[in-house]
Amino acid sequence: MLETVELRKVFKGKTAVEEVSLYLKEGESVGLIGPNGAGKSTTISMISSLLKPTAGDVRLNGQSVIKHPQQLRKVLGVVPQEIALYEELSSYENLKFFGKVYGLKGKELELKIQELLDMVGLRDRQKELIRTYSGGMKRRINIAVALMHDPKIVIMDEPTVGIDPQSRNHILDTVRHLSREKGTTVLYTSHYMEEVEQLCSRMYIMDHGRIIASGTKEELQLILSGEETLLLRLDRQHAEFTEELQTLAAVRQVEETELGLKLIVTKNHQILSRVVQAAERFDVQILNIHIDSPSLEDVFLHLTGRNLRD
Amino acid sequence: MVSILLSHWMRERRNPFLLLLFIGISIIATLMFGGGMTQKMKIDVFSETGELKESEKEWLLLLNKGDTFKFRAQDEQSARTKVREGRADLAVKLTGDDYRIIAVKESPNAQLAEQHIRTVFERELELRAVSAAAGDEKGFRSRIDTYLEEPPLTLQVKGTDGEELLRYDMGLQLMFGFSLFLVMLTIGFKVNTITKDKITGIWSRLILSPVRKSEIYFGHLLYSTMIGIVQITVVFLIFRYAFNFGLGHRYGLLLLVIALYSMTIVAMCILLAGILRTPEKFNMLFPSIVPIMPLVSGVYMPPGTITSPILLGVAEIFPITHAMEALTGIAIYDNGIGELWLPLSKLILIAVLCMGIGINLMERRHV
Ligand SMILES: Nc1ncnc2c1ncn2[C@@H]1O[C@H](COP(=O)(O)OP(=O)(O)O)[C@@H](O)[C@H]1O
Ligand SMILES: [Mg+2]
Repeated sequence: MLETVELRKVFKGKTAVEEVSLYLKEGESVGLIGPNGAGKSTTISMISSLLKPTAGDVRLNGQSVIKHPQQLRKVLGVVPQEIALYEELSSYENLKFFGKVYGLKGKELELKIQELLDMVGLRDRQKELIRTYSGGMKRRINIAVALMHDPKIVIMDEPTVGIDPQSRNHILDTVRHLSREKGTTVLYTSHYMEEVEQLCSRMYIMDHGRIIASGTKEELQLILSGEETLLLRLDRQHAEFTEELQTLAAVRQVEETELGLKLIVTKNHQILSRVVQAAERFDVQILNIHIDSPSLEDVFLHLTGRNLRD
Repeated sequence: MVSILLSHWMRERRNPFLLLLFIGISIIATLMFGGGMTQKMKIDVFSETGELKESEKEWLLLLNKGDTFKFRAQDEQSARTKVREGRADLAVKLTGDDYRIIAVKESPNAQLAEQHIRTVFERELELRAVSAAAGDEKGFRSRIDTYLEEPPLTLQVKGTDGEELLRYDMGLQLMFGFSLFLVMLTIGFKVNTITKDKITGIWSRLILSPVRKSEIYFGHLLYSTMIGIVQITVVFLIFRYAFNFGLGHRYGLLLLVIALYSMTIVAMCILLAGILRTPEKFNMLFPSIVPIMPLVSGVYMPPGTITSPILLGVAEIFPITHAMEALTGIAIYDNGIGELWLPLSKLILIAVLCMGIGINLMERRHV
């Protein structure tokens, strides 16, 4: 339905996005995940025709929309990363205003407003000014406004950044509702892996302006299929022990956690005894060992060498 | 476009205080600084003997010829107390055909008054002396009066630059000046909402909607212009009907000037917003740039006070200079469109230039 072909954006000599090709099939929910500064917002701006790409193309049903974005704009709803609302008006007034901008009026407008307020769970607070809302409530209205014209494709740019759990649940429910009940095509941007895992059937992982991996959860996990995670609970942290583990051939990565260490290791029957021996040598007591297959966060760490959130 | 007007109106209704504040300041400032111009300074007069004698009443009449001072009879006690307590700059004690000034301190007002009193006494006493010498006192006086009214020689007073001295009305001029100045602030803050909307992402939302970009701009500019017209008009109406200011009789023309001026200020603010980039910078710098304009244009001073060619040249680029010229032209000299085309076309020129460059700058920095 919607695809990008080798999108590139250069800001004053600095490349923000390079060779980004992605596609959305009708009715699909797709995640776009990456750390801050990866180029997610820039990519979204280009897809939604707010920013001209330096090179590359955006196509809707096979037709380029760079020169004539009207077709795309009609079916597109964009939830921006920032809160794009009139703070001095109530949420009802905001929805009404943007509804009018899209040509809705009368009963139809009124019904749509109440439907969306219900959907984001703020119907009983619709008369209050946006200024008085919590961050999470603002984000919910920010989403509702983008849905006033019943868009077929919805693009959300980090809609859950820095909000309370209740609001987050409302937002995740909203996205599920859109995709399951309404068949909306969703591009969901986030730097929370677990959200994307829950909501999206496929995802693109982005870093330093490029897409470095893509696929379903299972496909991405295959990247680390030869590996597993060891979670060690220790009685204390011990720097030399940690260093020693890093020198072991099978160990790919060592990360300190609150309770002990997390290792990513190549599948290897000797690894456990090696770890235990090392612990004995440094007089570190292992309280508990947990072996798991790697998570998507681990895949990300493996691909980029860093955590999603630092 | 209608929806853009609506968004402004919805917010205005929520928060009309800034507009009301600027209207209020226009009125108060005019009354504070312009009030003194229209009111006469009151000076108490008392006699040595208590009640004013007939001859002293005649002196009172003579002193009251003129626009600047109002002399009135008062009993000695209270006149002296007022001066002592500083509530009056001076009082005058009449002693037959002579006078004494009662004052406790030097002040410009006291000096002016003293000069006026001295002139009146000297002139009258001289007249009396000459007419007594001429014998026929009544006939002489009436001949003098005729001479003064229709002199055989007339002297035309011209300014240093050879132009006729301008007639002006400081109260009216200040009222125009303050209204034109304060409306710049109202319009500036309105225009600044464009840059604000661009930052918050509201602008992007509108760009993605079926509303055309030109309509978005036009809606913002139209609203800012209209709010400017409303503000100036309200102030003018209040002064016309509550304070009896004479605005001439060409109200249509006044409205035209107000509308053109508001439009030009909108354009000027667009240019400034384009140059200053961020709404924060605009909020910080705009209120300090704007007050310079009426100062350089000299709208708070009698016409012709500013003579520096540099300042006069700089003033040419400020819309307020030309609007002021047009407004005083209509209200004081009863100028018609024929005499106004020059300042009006200068306003239009400034509007077109600022708008063109301003929108270009804004667009270059954003979608
Ligand atoms: N208007 C701009 N001018 C210059 N650089 C920009 C601009 N917008 C974004 N960038 C740069 O592009 C990179 C990607 O930014 P962005 O797309 O916002 O990342 P993300 O949304 O993934 O956090 C960043 O390094 C950012 O500094
Ligand atoms: Mg972003």
